[in-house]
Amino acid sequence: MIAMVPLHLSHFQSLLLFAVIISLAFGTLGRRDPLERLKYAAWSFAMFVLVAVALGWLMYPVSR
Amino acid sequence: MFDDTIENKAANDAAAAASAENIDPAASVHEAQAPEEHPIHTTAYDFRAIAIAITGWILPGFGHALLRMWGRAVTVFLAVGFLVYLGAGMRGNLFAPGGEDAFARLGYAADLGTGSFYFIARSLETSGADVSHADGDYGTRFLATAGVLNLLAALHAYEAARRRKA
Repeated sequence: MIAMVPLHLSHFQSLLLFAVIISLAFGTLGRRDPLERLKYAAWSFAMFVLVAVALGWLMYPVSR
Repeated sequence: MFDDTIENKAANDAAAAASAENIDPAASVHEAQAPEEHPIHTTAYDFRAIAIAITGWILPGFGHALLRMWGRAVTVFLAVGFLVYLGAGMRGNLFAPGGEDAFARLGYAADLGTGSFYFIARSLETSGADVSHADGDYGTRFLATAGVLNLLAALHAYEAARRRKA
């Protein structure tokens, strides 16, 4: 049995980690050329973060 | 997202070659898109593709490794592995079979998408899930995403084995 160290991440850290991992996977699976992969991964990452932050601000007025 | 099919590339190459040799590009494209296929070869390709998809599901990235797509194999293995590790570390909910409602059954299907990593996540989460905090809730999403990503990768390996994608 492997001992697991509990992870305590903030909302934004979780978002960034999620966006990085998924963007890299999307870029590698979706494109063949290394430069195209990098561009697609960067685009996906930016969209993940921007859309999440925009949705967060959009929901802020009804959060309390 | 996956628009670079082998057929499209073959068609473009045929059109370029035809224009260089003053041949009708439409005829060459038609030839490139309709290769002569032997039924036995097609069945063998199908069987091989299904076997590759299943191995890719059981061990993330292994389907691509069998196709010698090393970069994709390593990326899928690490991405699914990190997501499972983070999800288990954040004490996400790893759904068990026989869920009470549709969401639990759907969650189990997503978690099971990680293949053998499902059992690794179960062994890592020794203290059980804790979704009373945001960490655990995020962990649940990480685990489910790992499964769905692995299923997507297995499907990609299947399509690549059938020479539909590269």
